[in-house]
This record gives sequence, structure tokens and C-alpha cells, in this order.
Amino acid sequence: MRTIVIGAGLAGLVAANRLAAGGAQVTLLSKGIGGLQLGQGTIDVLGYTPERVTNPIRSVQALTGTHPYARIGAERVLAGLAYLKELLPDLLVGDPEANYQLPTAVGAIRPTCLAQPSMVAGNLSSGERVVIVGLRQLKDFHPQLVAANLVRTDLPGGGRAKVRHVLVDFPVREEVDSSALTYARALDDAATRERFARAVIAHLETDEIVGLPAVLGVRDPQAWRHVAEKLGHPVFEIPLPPPSVPGIRLNEALTAKAKAAGVRFVQGTRTVSFRASGGKVDAVTIAVEPAGREFTADAFVLAAGGFESGALDMDSHGTVRETLFGLPLEGADAVPLLHGDYWGGEQPLFNVGVAVGKDLKPLDASGAPVYANLWAAGGIIAGSAGWAEKSGDGIAVASAIGAADSILKELA
Amino acid sequence: MRGYSTVLLERADLGQGTTGRFHGLLHSGGRYVVSDPLSATECAQENAILSRIQAGAIETTGGYFVCCPGDDPAFADKFLAGAAATGVPAREISVGEALRNEPRVNPGITRAIEVQDGTVDGWQLVWGAANSARHYGAEILTYHQVTKIDTANGAVTAVHCTDLKSGEDVVIDTGFVLNCGGPWAGQIAAMAGAHPVDVIPGRGIMVAMNHRLVNRVVNRCIHPADGDILVPVHTVSIIGTTDVKVDDPDHLTIEPNEVQQMLDAGEVLVPGFRQSRALHAWAGARPLIKDNRVAAADTRHMSRGMAVIDHTERDGLDGMLTIGGGKLTTYRLMAEHIVDAMCDKLGETRACRTAEEDIPVTGAGKNYVVTHRLEEREHDRFEDQIICECELMSRGMFTRALAEQPSGSFDDLRRQLRLGMGPCQGGFCSMRATGIALSSGHIDIERATALLRLFLKNRWLGLWPILYGDQVRQTALDNWIFQGTLDVEHLPPADPSVRPEPEVEKKAPVAASAQAGVES
Repeated sequence: MRTIVIGAGLAGLVAANRLAAGGAQVTLLSKGIGGLQLGQGTIDVLGYTPERVTNPIRSVQALTGTHPYARIGAERVLAGLAYLKELLPDLLVGDPEANYQLPTAVGAIRPTCLAQPSMVAGNLSSGERVVIVGLRQLKDFHPQLVAANLVRTDLPGGGRAKVRHVLVDFPVREEVDSSALTYARALDDAATRERFARAVIAHLETDEIVGLPAVLGVRDPQAWRHVAEKLGHPVFEIPLPPPSVPGIRLNEALTAKAKAAGVRFVQGTRTVSFRASGGKVDAVTIAVEPAGREFTADAFVLAAGGFESGALDMDSHGTVRETLFGLPLEGADAVPLLHGDYWGGEQPLFNVGVAVGKDLKPLDASGAPVYANLWAAGGIIAGSAGWAEKSGDGIAVASAIGAADSILKELA
Repeated sequence: MRGYSTVLLERADLGQGTTGRFHGLLHSGGRYVVSDPLSATECAQENAILSRIQAGAIETTGGYFVCCPGDDPAFADKFLAGAAATGVPAREISVGEALRNEPRVNPGITRAIEVQDGTVDGWQLVWGAANSARHYGAEILTYHQVTKIDTANGAVTAVHCTDLKSGEDVVIDTGFVLNCGGPWAGQIAAMAGAHPVDVIPGRGIMVAMNHRLVNRVVNRCIHPADGDILVPVHTVSIIGTTDVKVDDPDHLTIEPNEVQQMLDAGEVLVPGFRQSRALHAWAGARPLIKDNRVAAADTRHMSRGMAVIDHTERDGLDGMLTIGGGKLTTYRLMAEHIVDAMCDKLGETRACRTAEEDIPVTGAGKNYVVTHRLEEREHDRFEDQIICECELMSRGMFTRALAEQPSGSFDDLRRQLRLGMGPCQGGFCSMRATGIALSSGHIDIERATALLRLFLKNRWLGLWPILYGDQVRQTALDNWIFQGTLDVEHLPPADPSVRPEPEVEKKAPVAASAQAGVES
């Protein structure tokens, strides 16, 4: 069975891995290196409904109507989380029935379901002493901002933490403006980690948990443990805006797994057109000179993301489109699609997407599959804005599992 | 400069109400050579003066007037005759030369005339003038809103205002008030009990496109109309503008059909315009003075010329003059006229020197060029972090501006630094700015959080009316950063005293009409 997955974000990588593990021949087409390195590098399932969620799977089960989870089903979420933990045991820990509540780089406390082991000491309890350590050369992490907001926040479990901050001078190159990724690469080196620990340890007080920017190694999944041992304190990483080192870790690990399972990656070029006959997609074409290159397959998974990737687009006349297959969109007729209150309700535009059935096939207005062999996964699915409810990862994983399992069953 | 003790009152930041809300054009005068010859001559003269005395605020881009397909090529003859008659330098060049220099311009143009249009940073211009005034002893009070003007025995005696930052009331005893309130001049005059001054705000919207689609100002060579100018300013190019009479300069809308009109007009000047990325939209109000020669609804054809209103003759009120009309290019001349009028009324002879003397501090020297910041960062990149990659703003630039204006909002700083004005519209720099401002010690965490929230809110006001294409994509990424990664919407409480600037309660979008606001 020949399958094509379009998109290299979380949904595309999970679908490709799952399909390959199920015996399918998989080609993954993507324009870039996927969206994981733009995110926080944890697996959200559901964080807000809009009330803060403590048991994500129970809250998912309670969703109805057009929410993606209501179409995908909570059992797929559980299957997806189990699959990810099995695939990436060094990188993801957590319980579908209990969200972690982890500090962000502005000092808010953010719910997430599976987190990296390097982050979970940030799940704070009342009265715990915390020091947030910043690096003078890293402009995307301001320890005073994190500490000052964190210290005045009621912890979801009650009480408050005792939080202070320090700023450490630790250049890793001859520059004043190093990115998170530059730090992470430097800290993949054990000698650099020891030097780093010596620079930090002088600032620590007894019994403090140490909050650090998420830069503790990108290739070496044990780098953070080494730092914690050298410091003799628990540490936790706090995710930063892109480039996200935790996201890169997930991306590289899932990509390596997929390649090991035989997935063929064709990256760097957008998939721009398709050919269909008899209600089935026959082939898609990527934009290479001189005339594009066509890939045929028995099954296709559209996992290209939403508006952030350009898989969904609104033109200057206000027309919203799914840009590859021209699929029917749900929610595109909302009036208005946008409103002027930034802090008001979600912009209706960002709920627009593709309606899918239980088997994850895109549906037309009558509820019938648009193409018999086309599936959809991830941000292209209508009905939610993952950034607000902290659900993007869970929807991606569960829909990818659902699509892959449906393909494997149908084409077996 | 003429030796008077002077206090300047502004209810918001300098340039925030009108002067910063324009398309950045330093007129050559060409726009008016046919329709308003007096304005044309004034523009040509002031263009030369400002390019000399405030060089750092002005980029001498040059400009073209082009006849687009369907435009009457004969208008160009009227244009050239008008230019000759009004002293506006203009020279017809070949279509081939125009298209070689501006390859994005419509290849179907039939004629092209070169003029001396420039582009101007309205804020730099105003701050230059303000610094000059301070240099000569003036006191400048921003965020001071006038609430009342006292009169006694038919003359002005004092001005009451509220310091909007502290909430304190301030009373300034004075013998003379110059009412330079622009679209708000009528409201100010009314506070002194004057008969209504018919300042008719003419609303114009502008849309900034990412990139300089052109490197010269490109005008359509037609009778002045909507969307007839594309102006390259700093890193963007701005299409403008519309002209609609409004009742209240505090409530300016950006209507969806007007955004579409600007995009269509852009398409005529630069084919493929709609595929370019729109960054931001805003609206401003022209302070036009009612002129009985034209219908009240047609504000574009009212006199752009300035007029000083003498309240002694009109209202029996001494010690106050109001100026209306005019345009940014002639701002210096407006000041000259109203101060001359005041000297006359006071029976004194004190000559104006603003045209001869360079503005101190940011004055003469080299004209601005768009690559300035790139050059500066090339020199300091090993010593200083770049906090806004879009606009090449360094950490040092931000901390210095903050130290000078510790109670400023991020929008106040943005006007000086272009913070958040590039393609990401604050996506990456806002959090950095918040962290740096907090660690500077000038503000506390409640205020830092409030400033971040207000900045994001204000950016959105100018984004959603033009949200399409790549900027939708950018917004989705920014939402993933702010809400997705940072969970900024669940921060603990912000300082409730941080409020939007006094104006803004404006409206409109691409797909439907609702309340929104604006500013570049």
C-alpha cells in the first residue's frame, strides 16, 4: 500500500510513523521542517474550556458538537498519547488524566498534558522556593518578568510559590545576541554544561528549584539531568518563543523514528496541485522545475496545518480557501470573520477548517467524503483555535492516529 | 525663538492625533498644481526649507506623476503648465526611464513626470521642532488635556488642563493662546466661549504594505482622487488616501469598502498590489476649514490653504488665535503665520527665523536614507542585541528611549523607535520589550503586564481591517506564540490605570463592519 502524507508537523510525523509501523509504504511531502519547532514542545490535550482544565481526558469526553475532539473521539486521544509516550520515552511523560501546570516565559501558569522530563519540576506546589535564572546574552527570556508574574499568581493547586530571579553572564560565543538554539547546541557538550553549572551554582540558595530557559541541549536528551546533578538542585526548563528547542527535540526524534521505519521524506517544496478521477485522488504534484513532480499513491493524508502554514488562506477579497485540494470549508460563512477586540472572543476566522467524519475523511456539505482516499489530520480540521484552549497537539496526534488507523484498516 | 515664554499642551503623545496619521508624503506641490495653485507654491517652498533644516526626518526620494491606462494623457499638459506657473519643479521623462527606475509601476503608463516629492517621518519632524522649542526655553506638556479656558473682560487669562498620567489638574496663567488643535480646534475655541469654528475633519485611511514596492513617491497624474499616491516610507510603502467628511475626529472608521478601494487603486499603480502583504491600516483627519465655495460634503476640494482666525474681530475675545487648514508639508509656514499674527496683535515686531535656522539636535546634515539602521547595526552588533529584527531596533535604542520617557506606553516608544511596526507586528519584540522595561526599574510588574496587553490590543486595531494573505498567516503564528507558548491571556492582573490613548475608538475590517481602531 502506497501512502502520501502532506505536512511534517506533529500530525504529519505521527501519521507517517503510524502508517509505516502498520506496514504501509510512506512518502512524506513538506514545504518546510514542520511546525513543532514553533511551539512549546509539550503535548497539549486540553488546557482551558475556558476554565482551567485539570483532567484533560475527562474534559475531552465532555465536548460535543463541532469541536474536533467530538468528531475524533477521546479513545483516539488516549491511543495517541500512549503511542507518543511509547515512541519517545525519553522525551515525554505525563498522565492523560492530569495536566501539568507549568510556568511560561512571561510567568503565566500554563496547563499541558505530556511534558518533557526536563520541564516537570516546574509543576509547583504552595510554598516551594523557586529561582528563575536568565542568561544575559539570551533576549527571549527575561527572568525578572517570569519571577514577578509567577510570584503573584495563585497556583492552580492553591497557594503561591516563593520566586526570585537572577541574571547570569554566560556567553557561549563571541556575541551578545545568542539564540536559544545556539545555547542548546553549546550545552550538548558536557564540558560546557559543567562550566554553565559553575556559573549558575553560586547564585543558588538552599532548597531552591531552578527555572531555566529551555536551552539545555538539543541532541542529548540527558543534558538537563547532567545540569541538575551538577547544580544539586531540581531544575525545570521553560519553553521560549521560536526557535523552540523542546519543539526541535520532538521534531528530530519523530523524524528519526519515521526514517528508521522507512518513511521517505521529500522536503523543501510545496505540494501545489492534485489529480483526481472517479471520486479518488490519483496523485499530487510538488512545485519543482521545470514542470513539477507527481507522486501517485493509494491513500493521501492532508496534514499541512492551518492558517499559520498557508494550508488555509484568506485573500484580499475575504475569501477563505484550503489551498491544495480546494476542500469545502466549515465556518467560512461566519459574519463577521474578524472583529476588532484583541482580548475579546476568538476570531471566528480561526475556527474555519475542513469538516471530517469519524474516519477523518474530509466531508462535503452533505456529509459525504469529498474523496474516497483522502484523509485529514491536525490544524486543517475545523472547529477550534488550538492556541487558546491549548489543544493543538492533542487534536494533531489523535486525528493522525485516527487517519492512519482508518487507512490501514480500509486498505488492508 | 521669538522670545516668548511658551507652554505647549498636547492631550496625547506628540504627533499622535493627526501628524503621525498620514501617508508620509513631503509634497513637491505637484498634487496641487492644477487644483490649488497657492498650496502648490507653498508646498514647493516648504519642501526645500524642511529638507534643509530637518534633513534627518526627510528622505529625498523624488516622485513621479504617471498617467495610468485609462487616465487622460492630456492632464499631464495641464500639470506641466500648472507646475511652471506655480514654481513647482517638474520635468517630463520617458516612460522607459520611469519603468527602468520603478519596475513595479504599471507598464501601461503613457506619460511620466518627475517631481521633487520626498517622504517624511512625521514623528521625527515634530520631535525635531519640539526639541528646538525646548532649546529656546519652551515647556512641552504631553498627555495634558485642555479642559477649560478662562476669560475675563473679553480676554483669555488662563488654561486649565488635566495631566492624564497623574490625574492632576494644572492651571496655566497666560495672556495668549494659540489654538493649533487641528481637527479639535473647534472644540478648543468653544472652551473659550468663541462662536463655532467650522473645522471640518476630512477622514482619510491609509494602508501600509510590507516592502517598498516603489522607491519614489508614485502619484497618479489625475485630478486629486482617492488612492492616488503610493509613498515609500522607511521599510514600507503606504497607499492613500480617502477623504470623507466626519463629524467627530475622535471616531474615525476604516470601512471595508474603503480598504478594498485602496487595494484597487494600488492595483492600478502597481499591478499585483493585492498579492503584496498589507501590514497595517490607520485613519487620520484633515483639519480643513469650511469654505463656502465648495459643498460641505466635498472636503477634498476645500482649501488646503491655511487660515488664521482672529477671535477679536469675530468673537470680541482678545488673546486667542486659531489656525486651521494646512498640511504637514507646510507645518512650519503655519507656525510662522500664526505667530506673526500674534506679534501683530501684541503690537510687536519680532521676525520669524525658523526658515533660516537648522533645527538643533536632529537638524541639518544628511537626509535620511532607508539603510541608516542597517549601517548602525553593522557597527554595534557585537555590543548590542537586536530586539526588533523587523525594524533593526537595538536594545540600547529601546532602553535609552525608555529612560527619556519612563512613563511612556509602548506605543509612545514605538513612535520613536518603530517597535512592532514591521511584518510580525510585535510578535517577537513585544515580550522582549516588556522584559527589558521591567528590568530597567522604571516600571513595576503590574504596569509591565498592562503595557504588553495594551500594545497587543492597539496593534490589532490596525491589523484586522487589512487582515488577509500573509498577514493572516503571521497573525496565526503570533497567536501560537502569545497564547500557545506564553499563555499571555492568563497572566495575573494588570495595572488598571494603563488606558488607551484618548482618541481611539474607531472601526472596521476586511469582511464586515464592526468597532475597531487605527494607527500606523
